[in-house]
Amino acid sequence: MILTIESHNRHEFPDLIDQMFEMRAEVFSGRLGWDVSVTNGRETDRFDSEDPAYLLSVNEKTGALQGAVRLLPTTGPNMLRDVFAALVPDGAPESPLIWESSRFAINPRIFADDDRANANHRVNSITLELLCGIVEVCQKSGIDQIVSVFDARMARIFRSVDCPYEEIGTPVRIGKIMTYAGLFEMSDEMWKRLATVGGFDAPVLVSPDAITRLHTLAKKAA
Amino acid sequence: MCWGVSAVEENDGGRLARALAEISAATDHEALDRVMACLVPVYAIKSAAYMGTGITRNETEPFLAVTYSSDWVEHYKSRRYVEIDPVVHQGFRRLLPVDWNEFDSSSDGLRTFFGEAADFGLGRHGLTIPIHGRGGDRSLFTVTSDFSNRDWGDAKLEYLRDFQLLAVYLHEKVLQLAGQKLSGQPLSPRELECLQWISEGKTAWECATILGISINTVRCYLETARNKLNAVSNTHAVSIAHETGLFFPRL
Repeated sequence: MILTIESHNRHEFPDLIDQMFEMRAEVFSGRLGWDVSVTNGRETDRFDSEDPAYLLSVNEKTGALQGAVRLLPTTGPNMLRDVFAALVPDGAPESPLIWESSRFAINPRIFADDDRANANHRVNSITLELLCGIVEVCQKSGIDQIVSVFDARMARIFRSVDCPYEEIGTPVRIGKIMTYAGLFEMSDEMWKRLATVGGFDAPVLVSPDAITRLHTLAKKAA
Repeated sequence: MCWGVSAVEENDGGRLARALAEISAATDHEALDRVMACLVPVYAIKSAAYMGTGITRNETEPFLAVTYSSDWVEHYKSRRYVEIDPVVHQGFRRLLPVDWNEFDSSSDGLRTFFGEAADFGLGRHGLTIPIHGRGGDRSLFTVTSDFSNRDWGDAKLEYLRDFQLLAVYLHEKVLQLAGQKLSGQPLSPRELECLQWISEGKTAWECATILGISINTVRCYLETARNKLNAVSNTHAVSIAHETGLFFPRL
């Protein structure tokens, strides 16, 4: 299930938020070796202070964090405009109808014990759940498109889950990483396509009831 | 006075284009207030309100352009409702549109607050669009409505895109009126190029073919160009570009 968390309700999910920043440190610094800032085992950047929306994939049975992604409007500070402008010499998209997705990460801990085939399957499944969640959030917010900066690894993941995008600007090698910018349509067709591959027959965004269940789970685990 | 009130006269796209045009054409606070007032019949809502912060450098109060009665504004101030108003507390910290039914109305204070708001003419349903501005400045665009629950659900889906556009155009106009916005954000070469092809009668599809890029990318460039020029349509963007001498003559 996908939970949306923003600045106003972060305090209701302290463990999940902590887990998210720890996961980001493990994935972006630990595994990918990106030039990111890690403090106390948590990766954060200045855009986390711009009141983004976070989408968290949470295991319904255990309450464990499976993956997360961050959304920011292109009308305000965002990564493509402020960090990766080199990718779009022709200008970064700036529109009330376009949001940016960033810091997409799947929790490596959840499939540490799996064999490779099973791990790949679960990565794809959680990826699809997060992507469907992004489409659902955009559709209920009036947003037409998502723009995102990603590397070749992520581009392969998009291909393997059949998530289409249009490359914008020109790819640039940043350090060791070949980096791309892509535009994704937040359409009914996109949702149906992703849901079909993921085997979802209902929206992935969590209902208020499920949030209550989650709080109960968290209390039990504590 | 107001545009698009007759359902026969305008299609939905016309209603939005006209609203954005009226916002862009406003030259002072009074004109903006008139536009806000027209949003009420045009979208069949009960009220429309813009509240901006970071508009002027030494501001002591947020900038308001609201259709609320002055009685409600005075009452709100005298009761210091800004201290408990969840729209303000949450709105400036959020990104997603906020339906007021998300607020926990179990507290007596909030029940009284929303009850009094209704007494003073606000609708039972409310929706607040947070605006994140270029430099991190924040504003809120709020509409209220007395639609039935079901109609409200439908209306939100139908209008959210319009409201996102209205919110940002209002914000840009308020900044401009306060002398803050640079007159005309520069268009990038590609944005200008797409616009110039459009001005010469090409379709977005033809533009994509000429430039060897996808039509979605062209749409993106045109959308950004319209946003930067505060234009309501490609035609409007083209005329602004002509007026401000942005186009190069083709040799």
